[in-house]
Amino acid sequence: MCSYKTESNNENKIKRRKFLSIVGNSATGLVTFGALAVTIDFLSPNVIKERPPKFKVGPIQNIQPDTFIYEPEYRVFVVRDGNGAFYAISAICTHLGCNVKWIDSNIRNDSSVAIACPCHGSKFNRKGEVIEGPAPKGLQRFRIKLSDDDLIVDTSDIVSEEEMYLKV
Amino acid sequence: MHSKVWDSIFRSKLPINTNLDRSLVIFNSLTLHIHPVKVREKAIKFSYTFYLGMISFFLFIILIVTGVLLMLYYQPAIPNAYENMKDLQYVVSNGMFLRNLHRWAAHLMVISVFLHMIRVFYAGAYKPPREFNWVVGVVLLVLTLLLSYTGYLLPFDQLSYWAVTVGVNLIQYIPVIGEKTKFLFLGGHEIGEYTLVRFYVLHCVILPLVMVLLIAFHFWRIRKDGGLH
Repeated sequence: MCSYKTESNNENKIKRRKFLSIVGNSATGLVTFGALAVTIDFLSPNVIKERPPKFKVGPIQNIQPDTFIYEPEYRVFVVRDGNGAFYAISAICTHLGCNVKWIDSNIRNDSSVAIACPCHGSKFNRKGEVIEGPAPKGLQRFRIKLSDDDLIVDTSDIVSEEEMYLKV
Repeated sequence: MHSKVWDSIFRSKLPINTNLDRSLVIFNSLTLHIHPVKVREKAIKFSYTFYLGMISFFLFIILIVTGVLLMLYYQPAIPNAYENMKDLQYVVSNGMFLRNLHRWAAHLMVISVFLHMIRVFYAGAYKPPREFNWVVGVVLLVLTLLLSYTGYLLPFDQLSYWAVTVGVNLIQYIPVIGEKTKFLFLGGHEIGEYTLVRFYVLHCVILPLVMVLLIAFHFWRIRKDGGLH
């Protein structure tokens, strides 16, 4: 037992060369990972000159029921349905980001194709729900609010179907 | 360490003990011994390779020369990029010729690299000891495609904008890191000034640099394995 202990102590003793190589390799690894992390951090811009998420449409008196307004800068459809309620849906296809187009503005039911994507043929109903792929999910719905006579669409506030309507 | 993969990448047998081993390290080094010891007549017959690799390389040289010249009239900024591209076509002397040369050489390079890969495949030239050079070749094919793709944004017209929108949205589908990678590529949430500069730097500096290094390695490996002169 005793002799075994002495032997293992001798074996476990780190030689100077090995110690220096461990320290050197660890330092190199640390610097490499640090440099990588700092570079990735550097590549993410902190200030982006992108437009603010909210925009204004209106006045609401000018928007007739069963019509829509397309806001090209924000790529958003602001729709007024037959009951007079407003909702806002994104024109960015959920497949690969092309601009979808409103192909038939006379559609009154939810089972017919109202919106289509020219890139890969996805089809949506007037509420932005997918009727035909390859789009994996429906168009994004944005919260819409009334301020005086104008509508404020907030593209940073994505809402469910129940929440998307603004009844006036 | 002495696996098949390792031996395919590093030719020197470890440990290095004899003088022969030491000289073999020099013989097998890219920078110290670039020329082959011998070349077989069969290996330099036209009907064997159709010079497809050489044609790809020559197109790459054309792309560098025309690309550097195009850079002198191009600013990667909005709206300058599109205007510069139009100026190159209608205002700059021989600009249209240079731009078309760059574009057609790029198209042809994709074709010739692809044909080269097919030739190598059907000649069985990927077999040991050339497996790793095949891997390098595949990376070179990917780099060729990436160079075409990053160059596609630079005219900044409708075609560029939507092609890159679709391409970058593909990245988004990568699990976990997709969103972040897309953000890094775009330098924002959608294509803008930063995206243009990022693609410009990738197209003009980073990708060609990696390409040149890998081409050098690729050629040297061919020479060492008794391929073309």
